[in-house]
Formats: sequence, structure tokens, C-alpha cells
Amino acid sequence: MSPPAPILRLRDVRYRYPGASQDALADVSLTVGPGEFHAVLGPNGSGKTTLVRLALGALSPAAGRAEIAERPAHLWPRQELARVVGVVPQREDNLFPQRVRETVLLGRYPHLSLWGRERPEDHAAVERALTACDVAQLADRWVWTLSGGEYQRVRVARALAQEPRLLVLDEPGVSLDLRHEMALFELVRGLVDRTGVGVLMITHQLNLAARYADTVLLLSDGRPAAAGVPGDVLTRETVERVFAWPVTMQSLDGRPQMVPLRQPKEPPA
Amino acid sequence: MALAHFARRRSPISISPGMGIFIMRRWLLAWLLLAACRPSGRPAGGLTVTDAAGRTVSLAAPARRVVSLLPSFTELLFAMGAGDRLVGRTAWCDYPPAAHAVPSVGDGMPPNVEAVAARHPDLVVLYHSGPNVTAAEQLARLGIPAVLLDLNRLEDLGPAARTLGRLTGREVAAESLAAAMDSLAARPPRPAPPPFTSIVFVVWDNPPIVIGRGSYLHQLAALAGARNVFADVTVPSAQVSLETIAARDPDWIAVLQDSAPPGAPAFATRREWRAVRAVRERRFLLLPGSLFGRPGPRSAEAVRELRARIEGVGGASR
Amino acid sequence: MRWALLGSVAVLALLASVMLGPAAVPWGELAHSDIVWNLRAPRAVLAFLVGGSLGVAGAGLQALVRNPLADPFLLGLSGGAGLGAVVALALHLSGPWALPLAAFAGALAALGLVYRMGLVGGAALDPRILLLGGVAVGAFTAAITTAIVSLADAAELRNAFLWLWGGLSAASWDSVLLLALYAPVPLAVLMAAARPLDLLALGEEPARYLGADVEAVKRRVYLAASLLTAAAVAVSGVIGFVGLVIPHIARLAWGHHHRALLPAAFIGGGALLAIADTLARTVVAPRELPVGVVTALIGVPVFALLLRRWTIA
Repeated sequence: MSPPAPILRLRDVRYRYPGASQDALADVSLTVGPGEFHAVLGPNGSGKTTLVRLALGALSPAAGRAEIAERPAHLWPRQELARVVGVVPQREDNLFPQRVRETVLLGRYPHLSLWGRERPEDHAAVERALTACDVAQLADRWVWTLSGGEYQRVRVARALAQEPRLLVLDEPGVSLDLRHEMALFELVRGLVDRTGVGVLMITHQLNLAARYADTVLLLSDGRPAAAGVPGDVLTRETVERVFAWPVTMQSLDGRPQMVPLRQPKEPPA
Repeated sequence: MALAHFARRRSPISISPGMGIFIMRRWLLAWLLLAACRPSGRPAGGLTVTDAAGRTVSLAAPARRVVSLLPSFTELLFAMGAGDRLVGRTAWCDYPPAAHAVPSVGDGMPPNVEAVAARHPDLVVLYHSGPNVTAAEQLARLGIPAVLLDLNRLEDLGPAARTLGRLTGREVAAESLAAAMDSLAARPPRPAPPPFTSIVFVVWDNPPIVIGRGSYLHQLAALAGARNVFADVTVPSAQVSLETIAARDPDWIAVLQDSAPPGAPAFATRREWRAVRAVRERRFLLLPGSLFGRPGPRSAEAVRELRARIEGVGGASR
Repeated sequence: MRWALLGSVAVLALLASVMLGPAAVPWGELAHSDIVWNLRAPRAVLAFLVGGSLGVAGAGLQALVRNPLADPFLLGLSGGAGLGAVVALALHLSGPWALPLAAFAGALAALGLVYRMGLVGGAALDPRILLLGGVAVGAFTAAITTAIVSLADAAELRNAFLWLWGGLSAASWDSVLLLALYAPVPLAVLMAAARPLDLLALGEEPARYLGADVEAVKRRVYLAASLLTAAAVAVSGVIGFVGLVIPHIARLAWGHHHRALLPAAFIGGGALLAIADTLARTVVAPRELPVGVVTALIGVPVFALLLRRWTIA
């Protein structure tokens, strides 16, 4: 039995922003299939955001291919793409007050016709998404009353309401405290295991990525420093080279965990 | 005044040199004090009037170089025989024809103080309004006497004529002019002729602005035997609803119009104005601005003209 | 329930507009009165259409620029319209439609200018620049207008400012027909953009990922809202506060769900302007207040109340 077709496939993509002196991304390949959790790691400026844009068709690669469900990403019509890929971007600026249920319902937009009303199956999808993200009890709350962690789960619920085959999360744990960040990673892992959705996550959290993700891509200056299972990618030499800081590696549940070492500055003599 | 007397009185007693210096110093002091407290522009024996703005204006002698900043004043000055004294007028002053020979100092709204001063007048006559008060003060600072006169209704004509007559030394001619204009303005009061028709003066069409009883046009209409349907509006002009005009159903619509071709005003073709009977029946009175646009010595002629047009004699517009 | 209430308010407003007025029309004669049918009825309908257009345009614009203080007249359209009108008067253009057409042309010119300014990087509209550009164009056109008025034949042009202050005096079945034929297209464009506007409230990037064609939506909403406003100004001058306040009032009951908010803003705006016009015609009868004054007198206290609610919430 052949493995199921990947939802997202990047093959040797290269991209340079107009007017830039060097490539933002080069020779990058990555595959995310159903039921796979793929993390992308790297220092600031290593090209993670560019990768997401290429994957979603917002940018067109100068070389190589970016495909979603075997079709070039930038050729997907927007609404159709939103039925396959659900994105939780880093920033969201909801100026106007809304209730949780309403904001999750926005995720059904890709499935609605121009003039048609929301149908029972849309409301059912919202309910499922709310339950899956453990925010059903918050459904009638105003969004501005939620904590950071709760709001983040609501955003994931909205992406889930799109009933996508792929979830893309851009640094979802930023500004969340320990409990909420852990809860978020547990949520994502649970979704992957239970529903078979594929996940592409950009994150700074090496250790959490190592424990939760199936595969990892480590970027450095727009190039792949290492790719594969966490155990193969997150070695001391690789991490020290990419992040330019001494670390020591430990193991937890068979997954590598990185501990940065101290490097105090000598006072001038 | 006492100090002035003191300063000018010659001392009758003989003075020793020391005392002479003492007295001279006192004269000097007195003269300085006198110069400081003598009000400017008040030569003994000159013409003095208090104008509509409460300002006191004094001339040493009747004005010989007058700038008039209102067409009505220009007309009044010519009518009382002081037209030859005019050295400046506004661009709007078009009557009598001799006025065209007088140099223009601009449109007067607001007055161009420099242009006025360049005519070297010894008297400037202005219509009493806020901006003109400022202009008058600027002229006064230049040493040019400026007088502000009210001219809103027919009853203002007599007093204006008399004031101008005094200031130009043409009191006699001004008095007979004023008497005629007072009579027109019903002073002393007497009952107006009973109206035999109704009228509305439309100043602007969108939004509709009409003349109320505060305006001299209302007075002209009453004298011509036309009842202003907006006599209940106290101010000179006001915005009203078109439906009020339609409901009050005036017999005539009067419009001040100079440049448009004879026929009907522009708004007559608009659909909503056709709700007014006078518009449907094209009962328009297109009144020339020169005669009707302001109260003046020809106001009696304006009343006659208005009456004639209403009665169908002399070219009422159809 | 809310719709029933709004509908009743609208119907009552229209009825009041037709039944009340400075001219005393006996009730028995209402149905036959020339004044009612040729003056009040078209004026009531025009007030409703203009108020509704301004309400919807305001709601759309507030969503587009993501700023609850946006008002259709922040886009520089009123300045352009005023300049067009003043130029028409200065050139003594004649004809009953000269003034509205010139005002409309002026508004379109301002629209084009602001649109051009708002285009950054070729095709993308930046709403913040639209706002700033609108204010700049508005100030610029106002300055030119004032210059023309001060240099030219003063009396007639001063009266042009009275027209610009807003009034439905020129209402007739002709102008109603024109607006009724013109307005549905931009209204339909705005309604079609209702859901994408909901998404746009999250931000342009999230909206894009949810499937909205963000650039097309911005373009269409801006143009449709501006065209509605331009027509409103051409027909009835600048009537402020309707486009600013009505969307907020509607949001109190319908939230930010634009598929309901936009129609509610239309009906609410129409009702408000009809009521304001009735008041303008009746409170100082036989004189008439400029309707823009009445909407401001009503709108400012309401707006102040809403602001309090905002800062407390």
C-alpha cells in the first residue's frame, strides 16, 4: 500500500525578495502528509516566514516547486485553498468586539456561497471545532474577556472550523505562559492523532518541537541545516552551529532536549 | 479747556528774568498737557456727527473729496448735488451714469483701505457692518475720517441723507431729498394702501431663501400694494421650505435678476418648483438689481415700477 | 424582533415626513394634496435613500479602514463636490442639473485622487493612506473653493455654501428616480462584500488565509462607498453624522455581522434622515433649518453617549 499523498510538498524551493542581495530561502524541501506534525525551527531571519508564504502560495518560488495536494500553491484559488489549509497567523488584530462562537464561525467562510446563509452543517462544524479545542464552554463569551491561552485555542478552533487537511501555525506559543503553551502543543498533537490533519508549525521552542513533532526542519540563513526526525536533527553540533551558542543535549522520552550553557562575559581587565 | 485758556492768556504783569523762566516753564508744561488731552480731530467750530456705530466723526470743513463705499450713498450724494465731490466709488456704483466717471476703489466687500487712501479723501462713507467697522478704524488710524451709516430699510434713507448733507455742506438739498424719502417711509406713520395681490421675493432657490418683513423689499412691496406672504418672518431673509411657498400661494414671484435673459429664472424648470402656482403660471417679476437691489433715492420710482409690472403695464414677465 | 422595531421606526418616520410639515394640510386632503404628493412624498423618499446610502457607506468604510471614527466625508468627497459646485456657479453654468452634476463630477475627481494616493506598491490599497489622503484632499479642495469664492462674485457663491451645508429642498420625483436607479449597484457591491468585511475585521492577513480576496474587497468597498457618498452629496449637499453614527447604533443590536449590519444601517440611516428632515422643516416653521444642523444636533449627543460606552467597556 503506497503512503497517502502529501498535502504539502516543497521541492528545492528558492526565493529572493525584490531588491535583496541574497536569497531568503534556497534549496529547501519539506513534506507534510496527513497525520504528520512537522516543525520548522531556526534563528530569527532564517527564512521561516518566507517558507510559510511560499507554502501558502502568497509568494511564487523562483526555483523549485511548492505544491498543495499536488497542485502549485500559487495557482490555488483563494477560497478553495482555504477549504484545504487552515492558517493561524502570528498576529491578529481584532478591533471589533465579538463573541467566541461568531469568530469561530468566520472559519466557515470558505464553505459558504456568496449569498447563501450559514447552514446546519456549518454550525455543526463550529461545534466540533469548539469541542476539539476544548473551548466549547467559552462559546458565548466576548473574545476580549479571554486569556491569551484561551484566545489562542479559539483561533485554532477557527482554523479547524475550515475543516482543513493541513493546519499551519506561525509561532503560536509566543506570549503564552507555561501552562497555556503546553496545553496548545497537546491540543495540536491530539488533533493530529485523532483527526489525521497535517500540521506545519513554525516555532522557537526547540524542546517542545522535539517532543511533539514527527519531523523537524532546521533553517539557517535560508538554507536547510538539517531535516528529519528530531533525534537526527537536534544534535549538539548542529544546534550550536546554527544558533551560535553553546548547548548541551539531554534526552527525555527518547527525544533530544537542549539546554543552553552559560557564557558569562569576562569583565574588561 | 481751562488749561488751554491758561496757556493762551498773556500775563499782564511785568516779569523779572527768574520769574520769567518759571512762567515759561509753566507755559511749556501747560502746552504739553494741553496737547496730550486735546481729542484728535476736533477743531473748534467744525462739523461733528455721531455715526451708526457710535463713533464721533468731525470735519473742519465740509468734505471736498469723498469716497463712497455703497451704491446708495453714491446715488444720494449725486442726488443732493455733491456728486462733483466724489473721488472714489465701488465697482457696483452704477447710478447715475455720471458715477462711472468717478474712479473705482474695488468692490468694497471688504473695502480696500489702501485703494481708498490712495484717493486722498477727507471723508469716507461706509455701510454699517462688522467688517466695515474694522475698515473705518483702519482709515481713522491713517487720519481719514470715516462715517458708518445704516441703510437697511426705507426709514434709514432720510437720516442718511441728512448726515451726508451736513458733512458735505449741502444741507438744504439734502433736506428736501430726506423729506421725500421720509414720506415714502411713512414718517410720520400713516396706513399703508390695502394690498390687492400677494408676492414672494425669492433670493435663492436651493435652499429656498425668501425676503421677510425686516427687509426694505417688503416695504416696497407693501407700498406697491402687494402683500408679502412671508410677512410673519421678522428677519430680512430666511430659508423656508418649498412647501410653505406652495401653500401660501403667492400671486407673484419676484426675483432680483440683472444678467439672465428675460423670461423666467433658472429654477422655474425644476420639477419641484412647479408645485407653486405662480411658477406653473409663469407669474415672475424679474426686477433689475440696480433699482431694486438697495434702498436709495429712487425707491419711490422702484415702487412705481413694481406696481406697474404687477398691473401688467410696462413689461411684466410672462 | 429587532428588525420589526427598526422597520416600524422607518415606516413611522416616512409617515411623519409625509403627514407633517410647515404647510397646514388638512388630514382629509392628504391623499389628494399636490403639496404632499409632489413635495413631501418625494422629499421623504429622497431623505430615506440618501440617509440609507450614507449609513451603509459609513458602515462599509468603517470596516474597510478598520476605524470606528471613519465617516464617508473623511474621504475628501465633500470638498470635491463643493469645489465642483462653486466652479459651476462661477462659470454660470445653467440648467436645473448643472449644480448636482458638477458636484458629482467634483466628488469623482476627489475620489480618483485619493484612490491614486492610496495605491501603494502598484495594486494594494492601504486604508490608512486612504484616510490621510482623504483629509488632505478635503482640505486642499476647501482652500481652493474659499479662494474662488473670495475672488469672484461674492453673493451668489456665498449661497453655494448654503447648498453645501445640506438640504433636501431640491427633492422631486426626478431626483428620487435618479438615485433609485443609481444606488442599487453600489449597494449590491457592498452587500456582496459583507462577509469578507467580517473577515477583514481580523486583519488583512487572517482574512486572506480564510479565503477572502482582500485586494478586490478593499477596492470594491472603497469605490462603492465613495460612489454612494458622491451621489448623496450631489443630490443633497453634505449631511454629516449619519454615516458616522448610524453604523455604531446598528452595531449595538446587530454586532459586526455585516450581512445584517449593512441592511440595518441602510434602514436606520434612512429613518434618521427622514426624521431629521421633518424636524428641520417643522420646528422653526415657516423657516427651515439646514438638515445637516439637525443631524449634528441629534448625532453629537448620541455619539458622546456611544463614546462613553466604549471607554467604559
